Amino acid sequence: MNTVDIAILVAKTLLFYLIVLHVVPIMVWVERRGAALIQDRPGPNRVGPFGLLQPVADFVKFIFKEDPIPTGANRGLFLVAPALILIPASLTLAVLPFGDKVKLFGREILLQVADLDIAILYVLAIGSLGIYGILFGGWASGNKFSLMGALRASSQVISYEIPLGLAAVGAVAVYGTFSLREIALAQDGLWFGWLPRWGIFLQPVGFWLFFIASFAETNRLPFDLPETEAELVAGYHTEYGSMKFGMFMMAEYMNLTTISGVMVTLFFGGWHLPFVADAMLLKWIGSQNLLGLVQVVIFLTKVAIFLCVFVWVRWTVPRFRFDQLMRITWGRLIPLGIVNLLVTAGVMLWLGGWK
Amino acid sequence: MTVSFLTNWVHYLVAALFSVGLLGFLIRKNALVILMSIELMLNAVNLYVAKVSLALHSGAGLVLVVFAITVAAAEVAVGLAIILNLYRAKRSVDVDMFTGLKG
Amino acid sequence: MSDIAAGLFGVLTLGCSLGVVFSRNVIMSAFYLILSFFGLAALYVLIQAPFLAVIQVLIYTGAIVVLFVFVVMLIDQDKLLEVVTGKTLVLTAGVLAWSLGLILLRALNHSPMAVPVSGQLPTLRTISLSLFTEYLWPFEVLSVFMLVIIVGVFVLARDKVNA
Repeated sequence: MNTVDIAILVAKTLLFYLIVLHVVPIMVWVERRGAALIQDRPGPNRVGPFGLLQPVADFVKFIFKEDPIPTGANRGLFLVAPALILIPASLTLAVLPFGDKVKLFGREILLQVADLDIAILYVLAIGSLGIYGILFGGWASGNKFSLMGALRASSQVISYEIPLGLAAVGAVAVYGTFSLREIALAQDGLWFGWLPRWGIFLQPVGFWLFFIASFAETNRLPFDLPETEAELVAGYHTEYGSMKFGMFMMAEYMNLTTISGVMVTLFFGGWHLPFVADAMLLKWIGSQNLLGLVQVVIFLTKVAIFLCVFVWVRWTVPRFRFDQLMRITWGRLIPLGIVNLLVTAGVMLWLGGWK
Repeated sequence: MTVSFLTNWVHYLVAALFSVGLLGFLIRKNALVILMSIELMLNAVNLYVAKVSLALHSGAGLVLVVFAITVAAAEVAVGLAIILNLYRAKRSVDVDMFTGLKG
Repeated sequence: MSDIAAGLFGVLTLGCSLGVVFSRNVIMSAFYLILSFFGLAALYVLIQAPFLAVIQVLIYTGAIVVLFVFVVMLIDQDKLLEVVTGKTLVLTAGVLAWSLGLILLRALNHSPMAVPVSGQLPTLRTISLSLFTEYLWPFEVLSVFMLVIIVGVFVLARDKVNA
């Protein structure tokens, strides 16, 4: 590995990180305007055209707010918790394939920070780390509502990791690889000339499981039990103010982005345009580098659609009770996931899929 | 060169980690921390098994470590359930409190 | 470069394991345990076993320590303050642990594993294949074992008074 390779790696990391970092303010705006749209009110519309500069105003407000540390708090953990939640949220980005590859400086560059052969396991492993920010944040606040939120979060995230993993394993069984890049590559083109080769048509049940579990993993409504404002004030981040609260919020949207990215890659063809094979697209565009750019745009568009679905669901579906939440995963999703895996494996064996 | 250095290096780390775990197991009275110390010792052994397995270019040790980690998860679950029961019985997790079988 | 990384993560792992043992607060012990396991995962990557690194993070850091923290939070905070262990006991234990560590180190350094063996490093594919061919029987036994554990833990942890 020479200097140029390292420079390219650093540049890629920065580029993709900046892209996802900019999703956060946009999502703040989309969330608030989306909520307003669904609740039939105007929403923030004073700062800039259509209220587009509202996130900037929010950010300035976050920075200049008082930053209190409660008396009963465990100082060290209280300060560390927002970082503990933000770091895992950013780490997952490393394996998301934003596009195929480009040719620059005489070498092929993958549009992905790292093409791990254990990418899906990596996503699940890092995803399970995000809970510590909530756990320690809730505990260190020295507030019983926060503690309740943290306890809820830990049991919820551990429980919903199982259907998430089972759904991902279904996709792994179909494609025979853990690498997200190879999975995305396998979804190029059409079946029978009219159906996109997407994972959702191979693993509809798997997608449904993954989709539901991702709401619980990111603590979004209808599964936002750790922060139910009606019961627990604001759950684990009740005592947080200023930019520390801002970091919790950033982590939430970054988690949404990465989990949407994983969902797009596993089930919705990654960077591929529906009904248009990559080879055909390349012929139209004519340049591999331009194609790479187009692929990144396609990928981000798909992610954006999923983010909008997350917002839409948040403001339309009511919250579950905690016992219902647990019953859904242990009573429905996990058995369904096991059956899905068994059927997938059986069909693959019957078709002689694995050599 | 680097490989051989790292090999020896792992030995030092494994020995030190195991000793630290043992120390914690001996000096602490909190059942939770004792369980954590056992996990530390187990991890030291896992690291060494993985290292040996890779030095022999064999996957057997890696499979063994995967099994060991799985069993460790089960062991912690049982251990914590027992600690929870102890806490319910005497409202304490101090192992010195539980001398009921001392005669 | 990998030497520097190994040193860094080794120091992290060791330092945090000391933190686990010497923290007065159990929740800080759990916090150090997370960092220690994370350092170990990094060491697994450095000894060319990325699969184990991910398993380590997924199961140890992601599940086992969460259980620890969960139980710590269920227990009253003032009940967790412990009586300080006597000086003599700490000293004896220290000497014992130290000497065992030295014996262990000597044994490890003199083990016949230093012989370099040629061949391919095991990949994810070969590990998974051996898991489902050579080691299928232990694998199945393990899954039944896990089922037994689930039932056992459920029976153990149930609140007998309020149930």
